[in-house]
Amino acid sequence: MVDLALPEATVITGGAGWLGRALVHHLAGESGPYRRDGVIRALVLDQREADAVHAVSDRVETVIGSVADSSALARLLADLPADTDVIHTAGVIHPAKTADFFTVNALGAANVAAAVAAAGLRRLVHVSSNSPFGANPSNADTFRANEPYNPYLGYGESKMQGELAVLDHVERGLDAVIVRPPWFYGPLQPPRQTTFFRLVRRGRFPRFGKGDQRRSMVYVDNLVNGIVRAELTPGATGKGYWIADARAYTVNEIIETVGRALADEGYLVTPGAMKLPVIAGRVAERADRLIQRTGRYQQQLHVMGEMAHTIACDISAARVELGYEPEIDLYEGMRRSIQWCRTEGLVL
Amino acid sequence: MTEPVIHTAATEVNYDAEILVIGSGAGGATTAALLAEAGFDVLVVEEGEWVEQGSVVPFSLEQMDRQYRSGGVTVALGLPSIAYTEGRCAGGGTEVNSGLYRRPPADLLERWRQQYHIRDLDPDEMNAIAAEIESALHVTTVPGAVSAPSAVLRRGADALAWENSESPRWMIYPPGGDAASGQRQSMTRTYLPRAHRAGARLLTRCRVKKLSLDGTRANHAEVELANGGPGRIRFRHVFVCGGAIHTPALLQRSGLRDRIGDTLAVHPTVKLAARFAEPLNVPDDVPVHQVKEFAPEISFGGSASHPGLIALSLADNWGEFGHAVRDWKRVSVYYAAITSEGKGRVKAVPGLRDPLVAYHLTSRDRQLLRSGLSRLTLLMLAAGADEVYPSYHHAPVVRKAADIADLQRSFATTKATVMTVHLCSTVPLGEHPLCAADSFGRVRGMRNVWVNDASLLPDAPGVNPQGSVMAFAVRNARRFIGTERPHG
Repeated sequence: MVDLALPEATVITGGAGWLGRALVHHLAGESGPYRRDGVIRALVLDQREADAVHAVSDRVETVIGSVADSSALARLLADLPADTDVIHTAGVIHPAKTADFFTVNALGAANVAAAVAAAGLRRLVHVSSNSPFGANPSNADTFRANEPYNPYLGYGESKMQGELAVLDHVERGLDAVIVRPPWFYGPLQPPRQTTFFRLVRRGRFPRFGKGDQRRSMVYVDNLVNGIVRAELTPGATGKGYWIADARAYTVNEIIETVGRALADEGYLVTPGAMKLPVIAGRVAERADRLIQRTGRYQQQLHVMGEMAHTIACDISAARVELGYEPEIDLYEGMRRSIQWCRTEGLVL
Repeated sequence: MTEPVIHTAATEVNYDAEILVIGSGAGGATTAALLAEAGFDVLVVEEGEWVEQGSVVPFSLEQMDRQYRSGGVTVALGLPSIAYTEGRCAGGGTEVNSGLYRRPPADLLERWRQQYHIRDLDPDEMNAIAAEIESALHVTTVPGAVSAPSAVLRRGADALAWENSESPRWMIYPPGGDAASGQRQSMTRTYLPRAHRAGARLLTRCRVKKLSLDGTRANHAEVELANGGPGRIRFRHVFVCGGAIHTPALLQRSGLRDRIGDTLAVHPTVKLAARFAEPLNVPDDVPVHQVKEFAPEISFGGSASHPGLIALSLADNWGEFGHAVRDWKRVSVYYAAITSEGKGRVKAVPGLRDPLVAYHLTSRDRQLLRSGLSRLTLLMLAAGADEVYPSYHHAPVVRKAADIADLQRSFATTKATVMTVHLCSTVPLGEHPLCAADSFGRVRGMRNVWVNDASLLPDAPGVNPQGSVMAFAVRNARRFIGTERPHG
């Protein structure tokens, strides 16, 4: 299958987010396999975010506004050739209040799909998540390319609505592809991921039951690879693809591998984990659910509740149909993340 | 063919047999045929009647009355309670089941061998036995096109890229015949006539109340005829093949309680009805396609779908679903079955004719049932269903993918009609301390009491079990023949 040509222009929403900046780094950088010419334009929330994007690449044009605001999207997509691709990464995962989930993840996606359709651009790549599909029913189960929706709390519900809005536009002629990354990690990661290294280093990472839950994860460079493959593969319209590392890891394996990566980077690591009964995870999940019903959101509870589950996905559709091949595994990805934290002066 | 049955108007019976086989289903019929052919004097007793194939409509209510225990459905206690069905007639479950055949999977046999310490479980021998059974039962795929409800499973699974295949069946199709022309090769057509030709006697409508024990031996069986008359059957060896509920119940009534009946395993199943634009219903047969993408944990297939059973599957939300029964020609019923980590118990209670059965699902089981029903619903939409009606209280009508999110949110096993047709593992075989029978089915502590039916499977196989039941029955019968001599 011959790839679509690189577009004349590329637009990234959520440009200052973690994934947004990683995309800017790879697409607008000086070299590398994903570097491209032409216009690269990013939507950012404010001037501070615009500065953060320019710190990664000064080649990028920035437009200030929110995906929740249709007029901002009209400005973002103004004066672009039809041969433009839009990569929609804007989203909130740990908001202050649950209403933000819907404003950004659901309404935002609907607005972006409508704006791309109205502007008659080439293709939209919509970055979704595992959360519209919830957790696997057992530790041995793996999500296939086609699965029924089973949204996990407010985030999952809003991301599902985002997908449905995009698919609705596909029915009416929009060329859009959905990519679904699970938990991702790597350079440019937000502070909560630094906490993750710190917990593993001190032997305090929470481990529920036997730690045999499986988690799919994706190193951010692998994710960029998958997004570009989804963007440039003909015939992918209307489909959704899991983009993750080659296989899911058990929680035990994650703790062990990250510990080893930290030790190999010269950190003193206390082996072990904070052992919790599975029921503690269920309690956290229930508390999270109750709090979210009141419109509030508590990040630690949410992460705790999710850690007791298996969230594993099968990437074979992306491999076969998109030619996606994840190149970095957990150990290598974690070493690179740790090195990045060190150069940023972050204390682990 | 004429029924190879002892006709007796006696009000009291007294028999002697070298080998007494209790039950005439997949385990009992096979055991009887092999032992009779090896020269043993065999008497088979069967609680139900001999019903000639074709004299009742398959999967009909009349069949439930005549060929099932308790008119079709019995209930295992627990939350939720699980409904189950058992055949009670000459040929047992093989007369009333779907007729689908699956060879015992090699990896399953290997896991059982290791986990339950089953001696001399040789994969090559089991494969050879399976091939022999497949030939005896005429296991084959359907000629020409499969039925429309079966094609739904294939079409939906193909659209989702889920692995699916046609399960072969034990059927004889006449030359030029189509999918609907098959003749079931149940036990009354195969192993029971074979047993008869080799000299075995079959006594129907005769229930065994208990075995009389003397130390490590059983001497005779106390029986009860359908007319209420008593009887006694003396034997050298007894093979109990009454199925996973009634085999342990009989052993318990006889005083054998050690590890027996404590490890009931089933494939819990939830259902849905799906309505299509075109007529597809086949009232007297079941689909042959099965979806094994998520096997062994979750499997999908088609259920019997005559109008009465469609009404039953719509009954959980009759107010909203009931109208679909008028459209029954465009509706068919499908199931999602799981391999459960839960366990059940069978307990004979003095004074009660039937044992108490209890089964408890684990939290993982409940998640698998929810997920299985949701995935099956997605498959129905992918196959072009207009409306899907999941079988549980207050279930939503599903018309599009987003509706499945409501299904997942509102489903609870306590609201669902959870049922099963595959009951096993109440007298598991193996040398592991949990096993109630040795590696060849002899009950622990007894010298001449054997079990040779679904009770022996160490846990639920995750596939249609009849092939596994028969393969173990043949293996164990051969072992017996190799160590015991007929007295002649």
